[in-house]
Parts: sequence; C-alpha cells; structure tokens
Amino acid sequence: MKTEAIVREKASMEVEQPPAAGGGGGFNNGNQSSEEQKFSVPVDSENKATEFRLFSISKPHMRAFHLSWISFFSCFVSSFAAPPLLPIIRDNLNLTATDIGNAGVASVSGAVFARVAMGTACDLVGPRLASASLIFLTAPAVYFTSVINSATSYLLVRFFTGFSLATFVSTQFWMSSMFSPPVVGRANGFAGGWGNLGGGATQLIMPLVFSLIRDIGAAQFTAWRIAFFVPAFFQMLTAFSILIFGQDMPDGNFQRLKKSGEKPKDEFSKVLFHGVSNYRGWILALTYGYCFGVELTIDNIIAEYFYDRFNLKLHTAGIIAASFGLANLFSRPGGGMLSDAVSRRFGMRGRLWALWLCQTFAGVLCIILGLVGSLSVSVVVMIIFSVFVQAACGMTFGIVPFVSRRSLGVISGMTGGGGNVGAVVTQLIFFKGSRFSKERGITLMGVMIIICTLPICLIYFPQWGGMFFGPSSKKVTEEDYYLGEWNSKEQEKGSHHASMKFADNSVSERGRRLNTSTRPADESTPSPTHV
Amino acid sequence: MASYKVVAASFLLCCLVQTCYGGVLFSSLERTIDVTASPKEGQVLSAGVDKISVTWALNNTLPSGIDSTYKTIKVKLCYAPVSQRDRPWRKMENNLSRDKTCQQKIVSKPYDASNKTSQSFEWIIGRDIPTATYFVRAYAYDQNDMEVGYGQTTNDKKSTNLFEINGVTGKHTSLDISSVCFSAFSVVSLFVFFYIEKRKGKAASSVEQKVIT
Repeated sequence: MKTEAIVREKASMEVEQPPAAGGGGGFNNGNQSSEEQKFSVPVDSENKATEFRLFSISKPHMRAFHLSWISFFSCFVSSFAAPPLLPIIRDNLNLTATDIGNAGVASVSGAVFARVAMGTACDLVGPRLASASLIFLTAPAVYFTSVINSATSYLLVRFFTGFSLATFVSTQFWMSSMFSPPVVGRANGFAGGWGNLGGGATQLIMPLVFSLIRDIGAAQFTAWRIAFFVPAFFQMLTAFSILIFGQDMPDGNFQRLKKSGEKPKDEFSKVLFHGVSNYRGWILALTYGYCFGVELTIDNIIAEYFYDRFNLKLHTAGIIAASFGLANLFSRPGGGMLSDAVSRRFGMRGRLWALWLCQTFAGVLCIILGLVGSLSVSVVVMIIFSVFVQAACGMTFGIVPFVSRRSLGVISGMTGGGGNVGAVVTQLIFFKGSRFSKERGITLMGVMIIICTLPICLIYFPQWGGMFFGPSSKKVTEEDYYLGEWNSKEQEKGSHHASMKFADNSVSERGRRLNTSTRPADESTPSPTHV
Repeated sequence: MASYKVVAASFLLCCLVQTCYGGVLFSSLERTIDVTASPKEGQVLSAGVDKISVTWALNNTLPSGIDSTYKTIKVKLCYAPVSQRDRPWRKMENNLSRDKTCQQKIVSKPYDASNKTSQSFEWIIGRDIPTATYFVRAYAYDQNDMEVGYGQTTNDKKSTNLFEINGVTGKHTSLDISSVCFSAFSVVSLFVFFYIEKRKGKAASSVEQKVIT
C-alpha cells in the first residue's frame, strides 16, 4: 500500500485523481490555491499517511496527532481534576455521598450528546474548528470551579466541564482523516490513549499543585480553588495551538477546501441518517460504554475508594489512582496496534475476536478487584485490569473507522457518546449514594462488563465477515459496502469519490489468508485507475 | 498446578487479613469522664474566629482506682449523627481503629490520677474545620495508647447539646474576578479565530474566481 511521496497539484473545482506514481510537474493555478503537496511520510491515494512515526512532528500528519492528543489530554485533566481533591472539597462544600455521586454522573453525561454533536460537527466543519471551539467554550466552566460554594454549583461545573470530553471524537476523526487503514488503529489508539492519560495524570497533578499552593501559605479551602486555574489555563493553551498549527486534512483545511470545491459539501441530514441507521454503530456504542465508560467511572471513584477503604493519605491515594489512568500510555495504543496486527493476518474478523476476548477478560478482573481486601493485591489487580480495559478501548477504535466512510464523524460520535452513557448508567446504578459499598459496586460493574460485551458477536460486515461467520457468499466487495451510502444521483455528481478511495484502501481488512485468493486482479494496484 | 493453589490460597488469606484487626470496641468503654464545652446547644460558631473552652475531670461518683491505667486524655471534636448521614467518610464504627466519628483533635494532655481537679483548655477553631454539627468527646488512653475510658458533652444517643461550626468558604474576590476575566478571554478568542478563518476562506475563493475568469 505504500506509495512514494507524490507531488500533487490541484487541477480545478472537482475532486480529482492523483497522477501516476512518480508523476512530474504540472502547472500552477494561482499561488494560494495550488497545492504542491510533498509529504515527509509515505501516503496513500487519499494522502493519508501509511506510516505512523511517533516522535516526528512533520506537517500535517504527525503534527495533527500531537495536537489532538495533547488537547484531549488537557480536557481529561480538567474533567477529572475534582475527584482527587474530593476529600478537601467535600468538607468545604459540605457534600454528601449522594451529591458526589450525582456530580460524578453529571461529569460524564454532558459529553453523551456533545460527542454525537461533535461527530456531526466534524463531518461538517472539520475537526480543527470543532475541537478548538469546544475547548474554548468549556474552559470557563473550569475557571468557575474556583468560585463554587454549594453542592448544586459543584454539579453544574462538573457537568459543563465534562462536555470537553467530546474532543475525543474530533481526535479520532482527525486521526482517521490523516492515517491510512493499515495504521489507523495504531494512530487512534495512541491519540485516544495518550489523551485518556489525562485521567490518570490529573490524580497526580492536582494533589501536587494543591499541596504546593497550601505550603506557600494558602488555607486549605482556598488552595484547592487556586489549583483549578492550572488545568483551565492549560486547556485554553491547547485550543490556541490547534488553531494556529493544525490542519483538518492532508490537503488543507475544511473551510478552504470547501470554498475552493475540493471537499464537496455534504448534507447534514444524509450524513446523520447513514450514521444512525448502521446497526454496527449502535453495538459499538454499547460495548464502548463498558470499556471506556468503566474507565471514566473508575477515574471518578478510585481515589476516594483507596482513601476511604485503606485509610491512605490524599497524596498516596492519588498516586495509586493515577496508575490506573497512566497505564493508558501503552495499553490503549497497544490495543490499537494489536488490532492492526491481528487484522493483517485475520482481517476484520480478527479485530472483532480480539476486542471481545480482551474486554471480557477485563470484566473478570473487575469482579476480582471488588473482592480483594488487601491494599497491595488491590493495586496489582487494578493495574492489570486497567491494561485490559484500556486495550479494549483501543481495539474498538480499530473497528470504528470501517463502519462508515460517509458518516465517520457520526459513528465516532455515537461510539464515543455510548462510552459516556456507559459511565452514566454504571455510576447511577452502582455508585450513587450509599446503597452499595464501593467494593460491591466494582464487582457488579465487572459482571455488567461481561454481559454488555456479548453483542460484539452480532457485528457482521458482508465483505469481511463477523465473529462466527465468514464473508457473504454473494461476494460483496468493499466498494459495494461503502458506495451503498450514496444514492445514484449523488454518485452522478461525483460526491462519492472519497468513499471509493477509502474502499480500495480498506481491502487490507480481508486478512492475509483470503487476500491472494479472492482479490480481483484489477485491484492489485494500490491506487485506483478508474474514475 | 500447585503454584496456582498457592496463589489462590494467598489471595484468600489477604482478603481475610483485614477482618483480623485489633482495636478497642467503643461499646466496651465506660463513661467515666465528665466533659463540658463552652458552646451552648444549637449555637453557631465560626471557624478561624471563635473559641471553644473544654473542661474535663474524672466523674467523682465512681469508685476510686478506676483511673489507675489512665495516662493521657485526648479531647476531640466529633461529628453529630446529622453530619454523618450519607457521608461514609465520617462513619461511626464500634471498632475504634476504624471509627471516623472524631477526626479533629482539640488537645492532648497527660493525666495524673492523684490530681483530681478538673483540667481545661481553650481552643481556637482551625480554619480547616468543615461546616457541620459537632459535640466534644474525651478519650482516656493507657500507656499502650489504647482507649480505656471516655466522656462526652452529649447524651448516649448524641442528640442533645450539639453545636454547629461554620467553616471558612475559602473564596476570595480576587479569584472570582480572575475567573471571569479568563473565561471572557477564552470565549472572545474563539470568535476572533472564527472571524480570521472566515476571512481566509473568502480570500481563497476570491483568488479562485480571479484564476477562473
């Protein structure tokens, strides 16, 4: 699939095909709109990178990666900045366990709809503007956390801050726009994982910042308020960086591409329809609710759990809680990479099996976590559990880019939103008020993980198969699947070209065994030769 | 296979370790100390400003010699049941090593059995004391630092003679103003960027128009 870095120039007002590999120069169309595209990483026919070079900041692919994970990281830090400081905040605001539980639910429920809306926004205005807007608009909620004085205001700031978790969708969308199918799992895994790291880092950062400020001389109940300026400011900074240094697609920004016609404008209602009518999106939304949703729930409750159950100091509880989220450094990307590796051999079926196995095992570990009563065993089990649950998140987003091409944003948004719904439901059932002890709630959550992971068995791609069935005997191709989202009128207008390119690039999902036998001859060249 | 059993057994052992805690049971303690505190019933005090005076002495109606093991008296500020409700981090437990009712120490003084006069202490309420309803309790400790007796300002049901403390809010005007300023800056920046993007988009399409014509 690797092509040489090709020099590409823009011809006119329509989406055009690249010249043959190694093509020569062309003519200049005017200095602002002509694109002499040279990429420092190998790209495919959509100019998406086919290699993922983690430590490069080359424009635009790796730069987009670093911008998106850092901004997502900051949103996570802000959204979960309160839990590690709860032992102080609950005394300052006279909160009850019910208040805390409600706020925990609120913190993740805002993002349910925000994520779906974000998905559509990405499809329409591009990930750069969509994510920066959200970050700028939620930063005030973090600033205002320092002025709250009641349970209600605490709930409100956590609710509005939680909206920023929708940047997850723009991150995944951006990665899926910049990276080619063979590496998209890895790109999504690193971006999502390093962003989710924020949930762990904040458990370390906030107690540290708090004690620093308190040691300088502030009273306890003032120090935590000042501490919140740190995540708020950092969040704002990342939004600036995205707008100044980022770019929506390898070819440029949405606005410019749309105005010059390179990116054809799509209809909101059609995009939405093709997203919500795809049942695979709904199944992935449910299962993501029980890997990512569980991760969010744990971020909310784990520090208090260790502080209260094992009588630790705030600082110590924070470190232990942090190790849960910090595992994201390698576990979620690891999931993505494993998904890519499995797909090379077994195709999409391998991706589905890997996800089901990983997430079910995570559920088993969660059950055990609630049952152990000793501190050291608890920590060990928690860390192993974190690796598996986060790897499952990474694997989910190895599958999402393939569910739909036209409505990628909506599917990403639905899945992402489903993650938050899982967090909301889990916290409402098991961690609100004093009905269940925290350890019992954790065990029951493990049982629910196992049950809600079963629907993965129902996902079926006619061109690639599902967990229990092979590809359809009617010899459905990737093109049939992705072009099925465009009707004949739209195809006449040529709106479907991007989907076609994607379909051709996605034949890698057939896996190695089937690749050589069933692949038709004219698709053996990497770039499409037909119009 | 054997190693698997060892792991399982040690797992189980670790789970059970927690239940083998030592610790004095509150129900085994006798109420031997008379404690009085200056706040009246229902009085509201302010943290960081008001003072509490506590006085304690051995109950002189008790048989002598009961205080022979008392070495230290620790007076503590304790949460009333209304402030413990729905707050598991302040939960009362009979096992005193796990009990979280009395989390604030007012004073600790050595006890002299031969000196029967009452002792007292004046305490400024700290700025980190949270808003809640309280009573005062004194524990007597022996030389091994184990509880051997107690006394409190309220009755056994903890329903009388309770007082309230209003904690500091921790808020500051400067924080309020900073929040507003930074938030406004955030929102305004967004609109500035939007405007810039629109202008760039218009410029691009106008160049296109020029080239085509």
